[in-house]
Amino acid sequence: MTGIEAINVYCGLARLPVPALFAGRGLDPARLDHLMMTERSVGLPCEDPVSNAVNAARPVVDALSPEERDSIELLVTSSESGIDYSKSIASYVHAYLGLGRNCRVMEVKQACYAATGVLQLAAGYLASGVSPGARALVIATDVSMADARAGYAEPATGHGAAALLIGPDARVLELDPGAFGLYSYETLDSARPEPDRDIADVDASLFAYLDCLSRSFADYRSRVADADWHTTFTRLALHTPFAGLVKAGHRKLTRELTGAGPDAVAADFAERVAPSLHYPSRVGNLCSGSVYLALCSLIDHLPPGAPPQRIGLFSYGSGCASEFFSGLVGEGARQALAPARIGERLAARVPIGFDEYTDLLAGNSRCLLPVADRDIDLAPYERFLTADPGRGRLLVHRGTKNYHRTYEWV
Amino acid sequence: MRHEDIFAAVRRNVGEVMDDVDPAAVTLDRSLADLGCNSIDRAEVVTLTMADLGITVPVMDFQDARDLRALVALLARHAA
Repeated sequence: MTGIEAINVYCGLARLPVPALFAGRGLDPARLDHLMMTERSVGLPCEDPVSNAVNAARPVVDALSPEERDSIELLVTSSESGIDYSKSIASYVHAYLGLGRNCRVMEVKQACYAATGVLQLAAGYLASGVSPGARALVIATDVSMADARAGYAEPATGHGAAALLIGPDARVLELDPGAFGLYSYETLDSARPEPDRDIADVDASLFAYLDCLSRSFADYRSRVADADWHTTFTRLALHTPFAGLVKAGHRKLTRELTGAGPDAVAADFAERVAPSLHYPSRVGNLCSGSVYLALCSLIDHLPPGAPPQRIGLFSYGSGCASEFFSGLVGEGARQALAPARIGERLAARVPIGFDEYTDLLAGNSRCLLPVADRDIDLAPYERFLTADPGRGRLLVHRGTKNYHRTYEWV
Repeated sequence: MRHEDIFAAVRRNVGEVMDDVDPAAVTLDRSLADLGCNSIDRAEVVTLTMADLGITVPVMDFQDARDLRALVALLARHAA
């Protein structure tokens, strides 16, 4: 059945403890519990949406035979960190991953939802049978522009990419065909109106997330006979702007749909939702890759020998668009994900302090600004690039020459 | 829909979301923030109330609801 054959995430090379960011910005420490975040990934000026995408997808592509690699006939990047009005991130990614030229290449945008929209369109295309044996590579990739102006969103913002290989041998997640629920409407809860500035209305954003979770699940129930919030899904993986919001969303739906009291809600959260939050609590919001980072966390934290199980997934993107969908995680999913060593790689990110973080922000804020010519010196970032010798080759951003972005493998 | 019924739904949902709020403290002159609701709690109270009453209010309209009186009036307008 069609679904996710392979998945990998790239979550950068630096990490900042969230309490240090709270202290540095003078944020109210009482609200730390509310975020449920321990640390977050921080980008470097030699990283951009292209390098993040390539670094997430390279291990997935490297594991393929030449025939399998050539079967990728759709490459889509999903991003709210566009690098040009016309030229896509995917065009660079296609080159640096060495994919075949008989391939559809494009980019999509719908805030933190877009990757799920593409996953569903790609899966439908592959399942249609018009191109037997074809595969699709969908990569959610972003960089953060959050700074002091973002308030409590700054400690929750992550950095990186998630790469999904979609095809007929769904070892990671077999999508339930026709099992989805949609809910979308226009609003301005958060946006990136300028290439170096994010804006967010926190109340509107939380409201829209919770509203869309209830209503997209209601639409799912209208399409899937006998679907039940409590019994249909063994576990759940939800878009995670910060873990505290996922906890609130689960509490809201469980209360609404089952009438459970606080103790039953807490027990259900620990059993069905908490496994998906380990990685997001250490990375921050990965935009449209966030729900897939949560899925990786869930799979890596399954008990050994766990039977095949149905997972409920929720994707939400500001602006806003949302989808609740489901799939089967098979017995082989843990094994399929293990070579990615996601937990080890998160631990290998270099810890930084608040002052170093604010120095990096100045360079990072230029990442998406249009500049004809620019050189990025790697020397200041050497210790980040060499910290994890087991990570394999890494693509880094070296600048632009006449608007053409330049990269180098290190 | 009567304002009294809408206010009763708001008060009930404040109790659902906030274990430690005395229902008597939930009055029309207070705001959800006054009652100790953080941003997640506020979103939960409002979305639960909309679901209970079967009404839909555009997200951005809530920006202007400074206290529970304004919130109830806003919900009432969209219930009509």
